Amino acid sequence: MTTAAATLARTRSAVAGAAADARTAWSYRATAGLAVIGLAALVPALPFDLRLDRLAATLYLALAAVGLGLAVGVGGVPSLAQGAFAATGAFTAAGLVARQGWPLAPAVVAATLAAALAGAVAGVALARFGGVVVAAGTWLLAWLAAFALTGFPSLSGGAQGLALPGTGGLTPSGHYELALGLTALAVGGYAVLARGQPGLALAAARDQPEAAVALGVPLARLRIGAFTASAAAGGLAGALAVQLAGVADPSAYGPALSAKLFIAVVLGGATAAAGGVAGVLVLGLLTLATEAGGLEGFQAGRVQTLLASVAVLVFLGLGDAGLLPSLRRRCRGAAAQHRPERVAPPPATETSSGGRSVLLADGLAKSFGNLAAVDGVGIELESGSVHALVGPNGSGKTTVLQLVAGSLPVDRGRVALDGVDVTREPVRGRVVGGIVRTLQTTAVVDRHTALENVLVGAGLRRRFGGAWRTLLATPKNRAETAATSAGAVEALESVGLAWAADVPAGELSAFDRRLVMVATALATRPKALLLDEPAAGAGSDDVPRLTALLHGLRTRGVAVLLVEHNLRLVRAVADRVTVLEAGRVIASGAPAEVALDPAVRRAYLGGPGL
Amino acid sequence: MSLALQVLVSGLGVGGVYGLVAIGYSLLYRLTGIVYFAFGDLVGLGVFAALLVAAGTGPVSQTSVGAGRFLLALLVGLVVCITVSAAGYALAVHPHLVRGSTIGWVAATVALAFAVRSLVGVFFTRPTYVFPDPLPFRDIGRAGFVSLGGATIQVRTFFVLAVAAALALVAGWVVERTKLGRGLRAITADAQGAAIVGVPVDLFITAAFGLAGGLAALAAVVAAPSAPFATDSGALLGVNGLVAALIARFGSLWASFGTGLGLGVAEAAIASLHIGGAELGPEYREVLPIAFALALVAVRSWRASPAAEPL
Repeated sequence: MTTAAATLARTRSAVAGAAADARTAWSYRATAGLAVIGLAALVPALPFDLRLDRLAATLYLALAAVGLGLAVGVGGVPSLAQGAFAATGAFTAAGLVARQGWPLAPAVVAATLAAALAGAVAGVALARFGGVVVAAGTWLLAWLAAFALTGFPSLSGGAQGLALPGTGGLTPSGHYELALGLTALAVGGYAVLARGQPGLALAAARDQPEAAVALGVPLARLRIGAFTASAAAGGLAGALAVQLAGVADPSAYGPALSAKLFIAVVLGGATAAAGGVAGVLVLGLLTLATEAGGLEGFQAGRVQTLLASVAVLVFLGLGDAGLLPSLRRRCRGAAAQHRPERVAPPPATETSSGGRSVLLADGLAKSFGNLAAVDGVGIELESGSVHALVGPNGSGKTTVLQLVAGSLPVDRGRVALDGVDVTREPVRGRVVGGIVRTLQTTAVVDRHTALENVLVGAGLRRRFGGAWRTLLATPKNRAETAATSAGAVEALESVGLAWAADVPAGELSAFDRRLVMVATALATRPKALLLDEPAAGAGSDDVPRLTALLHGLRTRGVAVLLVEHNLRLVRAVADRVTVLEAGRVIASGAPAEVALDPAVRRAYLGGPGL
Repeated sequence: MSLALQVLVSGLGVGGVYGLVAIGYSLLYRLTGIVYFAFGDLVGLGVFAALLVAAGTGPVSQTSVGAGRFLLALLVGLVVCITVSAAGYALAVHPHLVRGSTIGWVAATVALAFAVRSLVGVFFTRPTYVFPDPLPFRDIGRAGFVSLGGATIQVRTFFVLAVAAALALVAGWVVERTKLGRGLRAITADAQGAAIVGVPVDLFITAAFGLAGGLAALAAVVAAPSAPFATDSGALLGVNGLVAALIARFGSLWASFGTGLGLGVAEAAIASLHIGGAELGPEYREVLPIAFALALVAVRSWRASPAAEPL
């Protein structure tokens, strides 16, 4: 009895917590979306002869488009194969229903799984490529599916297609309500995923792949996931659409469908959750307009395609953000832009944990062809100290950073973190262990706020941040999200950018954007932080801020390896300095000693000392 | 043996056109970093523009057409294809490259492909068309076919192959020997550097889009009388050219052309050869090469280093 009461109380508090979270996350856009869905659900009750079957078919198309939007807009994967995934779902379902006599529901589930599997395979093949090869590869995949369908009647039923007996228990209005509900769910899922940990990490991987990899974002795995999810949505749409049409027609699932869905997504706005829906509706309206213009029959289809293609070309030429994002920008542009005041970074309060050796790199060597870029370099980093790595251009500083961080495999030598050999560990493993580096170039996602950028780093060790838990907003996921946000805010505070949390990174100054990158690395809670020329491009006002930041890091016990050309900054903050020339260490020690070293003076001043 | 010869010759004839389309894809990829998805349909547009001049939109039996009329048709097809291909760069590619938007040019070039194909379809409504032949190949042998060591070979194929090879040589000459070619190679190596030393980058790239379109269209028009041509034949040429270019890693001109030839032979072999008891057939003709190209891409990707994104 008491256990039941305790369970009840726990459940009640969990529900109350979820309700409170939902209330804070609720926006006018959610209200508007719900209102639209509610009104749309009432359409079958209207007393006109609406072609509900056509509306339902359009909504199934929209469902496939929303799935594709997830891959394109969030995953940054320009997939031209969504029609092939829809075909996989359509012909799997049609084959199971028409030939094996399965009921509709299990056939649809099996078809969705088959499409998801096809998407996963395509993802494994293409996930590691940039957009160009993904586009070309998926386009060929779309043709492959079309050729397979036309060439093998055993799959597709030949030119007549596969006829599905019966209705599967769904009337046209039933299809309409089902399509509406599924599309609404897909849009909601897109929105949740885009704002959650998987979406933020994917956006970082799309806009700044090198930086994302350096932060330990599992790029290939996330992209495979995006492919799989979008293919599953396409397969589900295809499976239901063939039941609605009563026949699975191979000619309806050719490359033209893939192209139409891709164009719809770009037209509506790939970065908006409902962009795919908007794009499909616009293309549908174009079709209706040409029909109203009196065109009929065989030629009508081609004229419609022609007009729609030209309209899309004109629209894309004007700008490719898509309808919904443009609309949103216009609405937001009307609201007053207010920017909070800058505040000084809070003084660090924690005390140093003492100079404990954190990271030991020994005998590192790396050659590119005949060029020995790094040749026998050793470096030791102690907690709460700043170790500067200086040297002329091309002396191998950045290569040392890449070897220590694992971005490049070593030819010889070893890297140990807290006495554990991590030389064979990939980048992600080292970031999780506590070694992280920033890039020489400023690499932040401009469209995202400073906080969203930092969350990519803060979410590195999340255990409950996966796509399923994010979609379902499980209690553990929500608790972890709150903790991650707090960590990200703290990292922003420590670089003095707490005021900028909600400002898009693209609107910040060049140096503030560099600090966002540092905060992102810091949010992974590193033991050893490798900074590649943080002062590059810094103004005279900015160097003192950087000095304060580095002193703050030292008091917090972080071991910093600083590659820097600004020797004034180095002298102000470094506890030790190592000087590289042509891939070898020519001096190492306290800044004052090193500055007097004759070899260093030769390397820097080009002569035999002063 | 005789079947093998037949497969080889007919495959090379088809592959020559694939090779020129592949040259176009590779050249444009290396210049701009894009895949010109409208390319195949633009080649098809060139063929239909030539057909419009040579025979109009009505049904055509495979009768000859006067040499003068055919040359005019060839010229019109060439000019249309060069113009639209170059305009496609200016309207559907360049604006998006400036914005650095991959999805922009992918969507725009795909939309251009469908605009071109449906435009052709509005005027040419029959499923397939027979392109009139200016040269009297059908008077040689039995209706244009001769027996060679037991193989039945269409004489025309040799002509198509010779023209395709000549056009590939022309492409090679332009890239290697002319001022335009030097500029294009400079842009391929380093676009910014080329601009700094005074290469008119946008103009030259536009010219390269025209050149690629023109060469492929010429080959396609010359090959068109060999087999019936449909409104989506251009798109098919585009797919096969892209397969060849992808297998050749968008590599050099000769690598692309050679892969195109090889693809033509492979397709002919798949369609008609019985190898070691394994009997394929026409239905595998397109499927297997595409599957092979995709598998090759996948293998290459996983052998490359995880952080980089090379081809």
